[in-house]
Amino acid sequence: MAKNTPKKTTSIYLYIPNIIGYVRIFVNCYAFAQCLNDKKLFVVLYFISFVLDGLDGWCARKFNQVSTLGAVLDMVVDRVSTNSLLVILSQYYSPGLFFLAFLGLDISSHWLQMYSTFLSGKASHKDVKDSNFWLLKTYYGNRTFMAYCCIAAEVFYLILYFIANNQPNSLIDVMINAVRHNSLVRFPLILSMIGWATKQIINVIQIKTSADACVLYDINRKQKP
Amino acid sequence: MAKNTPKKITSIYLYIPNIIGYIRIFVNCYAFARCLNNKKLFVLLYFISFVLDGLDGWCARKFNQVSTLGAVLDMVVDRVSTNSLLVILSQYYSPGLFFLAFLGLDISSHWLQMYSTFLSGKASHKDVKDSNYWLLKTYYGNRTFMAYCCIAAEVFYLILYYIANNQPNSLIDVMINAVKHNSLVRFPLILSMIGWATKQIINVIQIKTSADACVLYDINRKQKP
Repeated sequence: MAKNTPKKTTSIYLYIPNIIGYVRIFVNCYAFAQCLNDKKLFVVLYFISFVLDGLDGWCARKFNQVSTLGAVLDMVVDRVSTNSLLVILSQYYSPGLFFLAFLGLDISSHWLQMYSTFLSGKASHKDVKDSNFWLLKTYYGNRTFMAYCCIAAEVFYLILYFIANNQPNSLIDVMINAVRHNSLVRFPLILSMIGWATKQIINVIQIKTSADACVLYDINRKQKP
Repeated sequence: MAKNTPKKITSIYLYIPNIIGYIRIFVNCYAFARCLNNKKLFVLLYFISFVLDGLDGWCARKFNQVSTLGAVLDMVVDRVSTNSLLVILSQYYSPGLFFLAFLGLDISSHWLQMYSTFLSGKASHKDVKDSNYWLLKTYYGNRTFMAYCCIAAEVFYLILYYIANNQPNSLIDVMINAVKHNSLVRFPLILSMIGWATKQIINVIQIKTSADACVLYDINRKQKP
């Protein structure tokens, strides 16, 4: 019978990567508290949170402090920060329902993906050995490509946040205007949009593959004697 | 080896409760496409989605068509519809960050809860046998109380949506005004707010209990020879 001494429970909460996770939460809370007032500060804080995200994974491996709590913390902070940024964008840009739709896609695809990862007993949703979709295999097979798509999606949202005015503006108009007249933003905007679009297509594919996994799980279960 | 014939896979996708789930998705998409233009229609469609949510569970039991896909579908549609309504409310009311905070709480608590349910191998996150928190035991032990809190939270958001003006208004002002002058809305608003507040407290408690479950999972795993 496991001895769950209070000290053991405390020590996982105090793992260095998990403390970094708590710091990320505070950084994000402060960032969003200031996001309507100070755009430069928000972008800096969001970037810091991003760096800490990589740092806590590195620390976990370096100090042998990998934990389930740390993995979940990472996932939740990622989801809430990206989705909160989408909420802000839906206020800055019209049609507001555009960003609402991608909020729905983000929540659906990640939720289904996590569920099906658990069902199939995989260590991580990043273990995709066999897939009918070449894009998915490329995404998970090539870590640079995956990193590009993930980072690009965040950068795309951050650029749109930064160049927005205070009143709702047409998203198309603002983007066309930026590409034509804003030489600093032009190429980052286009490059990040390509990565963002790729990530959204992958999100859609993963809804399908995760739903299939849920269905296959039931079929396999029924066939066991 | 399991025979996963395409016919078997298709048949789970065509289960009656899952078809009801797809209808719920369309009803919600149409509702949010219209939510800024036609408030009565939105409330009606949201209510229809709510009824269908109960109906698909009933159908699953009645036709013996319970499926993992159906359970996940339900969860995802619930989360996306509630969170989308919070996005709309963050546009109607100031401070917009108020509803953003509850969006974060909703995503965090449900995500952690689902994760810890999987880790502990429970059939459903609604199986809470032992808990240090009387509120949690009451919530899961008394289905009427649970239903009241869940329904109240949705009704609270719907009422706030319905009585909102087009420009951002102070949430406090609108609520005080409604309680003082709007006799139709007064008691539903107060009653639903109490249930909503209770549900939010429960969400916070569940973040704590789920995090504990993640930590205990690692501790127990390490102690196995």
